[in-house]
Amino acid sequence: MEQVVANGLYLGAQYALIALGLTLIFALMNVLNFAHGQMYVLGGFVTYEIYGQLRWPFVVALFASAITLAVLGGLIERLLFRTVIRRSVREESTMLLAAGIAYFLDAVILLLFGEKQRGVPKIVPGVLRAGDIIMPYDRIVVGGLAVLFIVGFILMMQYTRPGRAMRALAQDRIAAQLMGVPVEFYSLLGFALGAMLAGLVGGLLVTITGVNSGIGGPISLKAFLMVMIGGAGVVGGAIAGGFILGMLESVGLTVLHAYGDITYLVIFAALLIFLAIRPNGLMGKPWG
Amino acid sequence: MFRPLRLAALAVFVLVVFLAVPLAIKAAGRTDFYYTLSSVALLAIASSGVWLMFHIGRINIGQGAFALMGGYVSAILVTSAGFSFWLSLPLAGLFCAAVSILIGLPILRLRGVYFAMVTLVLTEVARLLALALPITNGAKGITSIPAPGAIGAFGVTLVPAFDTFAERNLAFYYLSTIMMTLCFAALYRLVHSRIGKLFVAMQQNEELASSMGINVPAMRILAYAISSFLGGLAGAIFIAIAQSIYPSSFTVNDSVNFMLNCFVGGLGHVFGPMLGTLVLYFGWDLLFAIGQYQLLIYSGVMVLLMLVLPNGLLSIRLPSRRGARK
Amino acid sequence: MTSILKVNGLTKQFGGLVAVNDVSFDVQPNEILSVIGPNGAGKSTIFKLISSFLRPTRGEVLFQGERISGLAPHIVARKGVVRTFQETTIFKGLTARDSVIVAHHLRSRASLIGYYFETGLARRDEEAFGSSSDEILEFLGLGEVKNEIASNLPHGHLRALGIAIGLAANPQVLLLDEPFAGMNHEETRRAVELVRAVRERGVTVLLVEHDMAAVMKISDRIVVINFGSKIAEGAPAQIQKNDRVIEAYLGVEDQSIGL
Ligand SMILES: Nc1ncnc2c1ncn2[C@@H]1O[C@H](COP(=O)(O)OP(=O)(O)O)[C@@H](O)[C@H]1O
Ligand SMILES: [Mg+2]
Repeated sequence: MEQVVANGLYLGAQYALIALGLTLIFALMNVLNFAHGQMYVLGGFVTYEIYGQLRWPFVVALFASAITLAVLGGLIERLLFRTVIRRSVREESTMLLAAGIAYFLDAVILLLFGEKQRGVPKIVPGVLRAGDIIMPYDRIVVGGLAVLFIVGFILMMQYTRPGRAMRALAQDRIAAQLMGVPVEFYSLLGFALGAMLAGLVGGLLVTITGVNSGIGGPISLKAFLMVMIGGAGVVGGAIAGGFILGMLESVGLTVLHAYGDITYLVIFAALLIFLAIRPNGLMGKPWG
Repeated sequence: MFRPLRLAALAVFVLVVFLAVPLAIKAAGRTDFYYTLSSVALLAIASSGVWLMFHIGRINIGQGAFALMGGYVSAILVTSAGFSFWLSLPLAGLFCAAVSILIGLPILRLRGVYFAMVTLVLTEVARLLALALPITNGAKGITSIPAPGAIGAFGVTLVPAFDTFAERNLAFYYLSTIMMTLCFAALYRLVHSRIGKLFVAMQQNEELASSMGINVPAMRILAYAISSFLGGLAGAIFIAIAQSIYPSSFTVNDSVNFMLNCFVGGLGHVFGPMLGTLVLYFGWDLLFAIGQYQLLIYSGVMVLLMLVLPNGLLSIRLPSRRGARK
Repeated sequence: MTSILKVNGLTKQFGGLVAVNDVSFDVQPNEILSVIGPNGAGKSTIFKLISSFLRPTRGEVLFQGERISGLAPHIVARKGVVRTFQETTIFKGLTARDSVIVAHHLRSRASLIGYYFETGLARRDEEAFGSSSDEILEFLGLGEVKNEIASNLPHGHLRALGIAIGLAANPQVLLLDEPFAGMNHEETRRAVELVRAVRERGVTVLLVEHDMAAVMKISDRIVVINFGSKIAEGAPAQIQKNDRVIEAYLGVEDQSIGL
């Protein structure tokens, strides 16, 4: 039992970080970032190349993953989303763009890194045994780092100037603009930050589960699930959604192990019922 | 009312689709195009359902679920229950419509990305269900589904059994394109009737619409049921062509593609999804020649298209016409 | 005279916040009744409760003696209580004329299937809606701009279009939420005339408004709300003299808007 909880927490921390990036982009720009999973994969491959292949320190690799994705996210916002949002009649158009970008990144990843599953050497060897819990040290490190990033993100949103500006933007874009917040700059920053978070998790998880070019779509789907559970556009919701999904998976895979894919079927069914009762998730703001 | 321009356009469409294209394919000897174009027609039908949801202001990324469901219903009816394909076709559509009403009751209250995300998840649910249920035969799927039989009335054969055709795919080509024509005609009528106006009003402002006495929840269900009917219908015919169905016959990718077809064609026009499907499907097929760069160029062009024409292909207006409208 | 609308102990809580607290008042047929109060007092919430877009936590609303709280909004509209909106009064992408035509929904006699197949009845409906829309638009001074896309219209016209859409539903009670907001003096003067004219058509008008001068001029009676509770009710002259109103409402507004 403790084992299941420990696994859930470790997984939940990673998931929460993914969901945070997605929800940040949604809150700031009203864009559902279909390419989020692909950004995660890209982050994983950057760490794989630098840490796994070049054998540079893991921290350097993780840093490179973050920077790569931040730059990519910034470019995508500046060159693509900004233009399309300005020029299209219906706001749904950003979805086509996001889906197109997802396909494009999929193609780039496939060309650059191939279809093979890739893994890297363990960052720390050994296994912790405490009572009934068996937890490899690398999972503890990765889980701890994820929690650290989550806390850092929350502190930044709460106490720094850009954090406050982005929260104002998420609250009411027009009001923020009237108050003199440089809306365009912070949209760019927010997108870069959201992409960076995806890249960070990719870099973290490649050390545990490895990475392959095909998992971008499924990761996006999971990110959507978390955001739906917690409520879109809310930091607390993303974190809650991440931990809940991590826990559900951990419990589900143990309890329903024998039935294979049933775990996800049960999660989906539960989600539908839950959304019927709470259409905006746990903490989401009502729409419209 | 007599609208000569519209009639002429319809006549051209009918001549091209039912006469010129088959003749051209025959002349060129590229009979594989029958299959390609049948696919386009069927995917366009499924996409038109998604388009209708856009029309009421909902982003439906779950059409793959209903295409899959329609396919399984038809396949099971034909193989296990001995139904004729022709009877299974409307039943598949109606089954999907009924299911969509049940699902729609809770989820149609969601808006924006919430609805989009839930429908996306639905496709995954459909796949997992197909894997898990005994009746769908799990990952092995249902294979060797017989081709559509003959339709006759009073001893007269109206449509011969598809197996008796020398070119089976030509029969499917006609079936698919006739279905597409019928579906789009019906949809065109719908959006240009008062119902279409009510849909647009809902798209623009649901609260105000219900304040005007429009039964918004019921109208949303109606649109979703029609949309899912179209998805199920397309799926059922698709399966008949493929003669087999697997849980992966329609995936999340297909659901996303249906949505993209609508965008690329343009959300402002009923025929947007038809054009969008044609362009995207053929674009994809043509790019097959360049091998590994296929996806890169395809998605790259799609992103560029979005930058140049964010409102879809049908948003292109000749400059003179725009001038005249001002 | 029996009241057309009866608000009985209406209370609405959002989580811990009591937005509307035990508010009661009656509306007489064919009067113009204004609900005023500082920003955030709960006026819009009261309107949403009356039109059944929100469910009351406690209390009820009776229309012609019949309870309408808890019914679906479109049913309440069908009975004759129609609300226009503070923020988004219109169908942005439709032309002014199409918006009003759509809003005739409650007068349709043909069924949806009838409309699909354009039966004779459906066609007569459409014609009737068309001419009625033209009449309403003309009446509200929108005849010139009826084929413009609504989102292109200037502010004053938008408010008038909001009223036109409301009128098309053929209401017995029309709830107008801040119809004069963002209007200049001249526009407000014209709009006040419009609301009066609407009343002349036999419609009972409920008004939420900030523009004190306009409210005093137009209303038969005024209900004052502060922090969700009713603090006064009466004719404009009485309200202007009421100490609690001056203290709670006008006093505050003094500084904030320099009234
Ligand atoms: N849907 C809602 N959820 C939570 N609080 C709300 C909601 N709608 C209104 N409120 C709150 O109720 C109070 C009254 O709001 P409102 O009726 O809009 O005021 P008014 O129209 O008088 O300016 C405000 O404090 C507002 O923040
Ligand atoms: Mg208000």
